[in-house]
Amino acid sequence: MSQPLVLGIETSCDETAVGIVRGRTLLANVISSSVEEHARFGGVVPEIASRAHLEAIHSVLTRALADAKISLNDIDAFGVTAGPGLIGALLVGVSSASGLSLALNKPLYGVNHLSAHLAVDALNSEHNLEPAIGLLVSGGHSSILKVSHFASDVTVIGSTLDDAAGEAFDKIARILKLDFPGGPAIDRVAKEGDGLSIEFPRGLTNDADHLYDFSFSGLKTAVSRYLQKTPDAKVADVAASFQEAVVDVLLGKALAAAKAEGIETLIIAGGVAANSRLREVAAQRCSRAGVELRIPPMALCTDNGAMVAALTSLAVSSGAPASSLGLAAESSSGLDRVFWP
Amino acid sequence: MSNVLAIDTATTRTTVALIRDGELLMALHHDDPIAHGEVLPRLVAQLLEIENVIDEVVIGMGPGPFTGLRVGIVFGQSFAFARNIPWRGVCSLDSMAAQIESNDFIVATDARRKEFFWAHYLNGERINEPQVALTQVVERLTSPIYKEGDLYPSAQFMSRLKGDIREPIYVRRPDAYPTPKGVTFRAMNAMDLIVVSSLEKVVYAGEDPWSMAQFKEELASADRYYLVAEKAGVVVGYCGVMIAGDVADILTITVDPALRRQGIGREFLKRLIDWARNKKVEAMMLEVRVGNDAAQPLYTSNGFYPLTTRKDYYGPGLTALVMRKELR
Ligand SMILES: [Zn+2]
Repeated sequence: MSQPLVLGIETSCDETAVGIVRGRTLLANVISSSVEEHARFGGVVPEIASRAHLEAIHSVLTRALADAKISLNDIDAFGVTAGPGLIGALLVGVSSASGLSLALNKPLYGVNHLSAHLAVDALNSEHNLEPAIGLLVSGGHSSILKVSHFASDVTVIGSTLDDAAGEAFDKIARILKLDFPGGPAIDRVAKEGDGLSIEFPRGLTNDADHLYDFSFSGLKTAVSRYLQKTPDAKVADVAASFQEAVVDVLLGKALAAAKAEGIETLIIAGGVAANSRLREVAAQRCSRAGVELRIPPMALCTDNGAMVAALTSLAVSSGAPASSLGLAAESSSGLDRVFWP
Repeated sequence: MSNVLAIDTATTRTTVALIRDGELLMALHHDDPIAHGEVLPRLVAQLLEIENVIDEVVIGMGPGPFTGLRVGIVFGQSFAFARNIPWRGVCSLDSMAAQIESNDFIVATDARRKEFFWAHYLNGERINEPQVALTQVVERLTSPIYKEGDLYPSAQFMSRLKGDIREPIYVRRPDAYPTPKGVTFRAMNAMDLIVVSSLEKVVYAGEDPWSMAQFKEELASADRYYLVAEKAGVVVGYCGVMIAGDVADILTITVDPALRRQGIGREFLKRLIDWARNKKVEAMMLEVRVGNDAAQPLYTSNGFYPLTTRKDYYGPGLTALVMRKELR
């Protein structure tokens, strides 16, 4: 099957999403988000997310099929995020996908969410995908991945020891009394400030045991301590300097990994890839290092179904076996597997 | 000829059945409180080997523990969606009740946290909406109880039930509630005494309200924790707790009557519980007036259970219900 028609479902956090691809061509990408519900709580509430997934999933499916102008019967294979994520939320997607695949007698692939974030880079272009270093930054994750082969060999070589980068943005935004989610709010305010005005710490930069790992809790403490000591600090300067510190650490480590592994492609994905300063600095440093920078379009950077469909499609094309019936969703799965057995 | 696929995951049992024109072709189940997601597709696949043509899906809509319950619902709905056939939802407790030959009984399933999901059946009809309540509250009712374990939802009986429930039966609200808009919380200080004691006078008129002097004394005592809620700079509520031995005793939770039902009391309670947890006490206790129907569900939903009653606690004829919550 050279151009499989694949439908992917993603429900690991607060987005209910369905994507459809044919081979490496994107046909549909529909997302329903419960983020406004969660904004009232200042964070994602698992039970509310799970309820919202169940309410939204069949209308999202219907819209995706209409956008792709295909019928469910045409689908060759289904993909679903099986982990990591919120267990109750994952279960809605996995159970829906199981119902679809069993009803139509088509194979189902349980896929790893982190891998899928990077595999979306395959869509709408015929470039060589591998090898690549992936920098995955969002409210849920901050990881550096080494992609040798999407269908068989993706490894996490660095991750955060405490907060995810996006989470740090949310927390700092709360301290600075900005909106939730914090990423866009800080990005906006930081444009008015001077990122070099305050020297905030860069966590784990000289730690040989954690070459590619992140830690943002020290930075968070430093920001709140600075605000206590400097009550009349300019919010824009604090936001810009905090953002500068995060961007510096993320790119410093990702490019160090590329250099050490002799890899010349960097993929940045996840919600924080929308950050304008991250994009700006990434472009500068990658061109200086002779590394090709790839950032998927924004709608494909945050959690979406197309990334699941893209990864599944690569698996189908390379002949990887489908998951067995009743695959188990796993909340804390790292990256010991790209596909569920 | 009409083939019905019936599915229920509202209890620890995952149960499925294939029914042709009202006759059972095959029923399968598996008992595991946390594996509905893995078990259900395998069981349904076995049924499809017997008969792959399905005309309708009947789904147990609960009540039941959320995570498992949703597995059956979304699986059944997606199956029907893919096959382009109708699905119909029924009450899971009803399919248990359908198996009982009696005129007056209660069906109860495990809702965890020492609670039951339950409903009362009289002369073949369910007489209340499915509810959640403390097990000991349900056990105090006089009708015989058929509990999960002795009895499970039956996919076979489901197909005979009438009606069509389109939404999951959620009788328990999510644990999280929004924090009240525009309201801030802080520790009570001496500046608040005038407003607090006058609010006390209004709210507890005729019930022996505390004087300003009493509040002042409270603030000065050790092992106390008092908070106020402020809206637009005005104190609109207060609460307090004290440590007595190994128990944290909630002394008051008071909200301006004009600002009730906005989550202020709930937020107070949450903060008092957090404080008590940090103090590493064994339990929390409180008194609530019998007949104060607004307050009791708040306490129950936060894990307080009725311990005993105290007669004339709030004055002649006003009984207090003593409630307790274990923290360890
Ligand atoms: Zn993600």
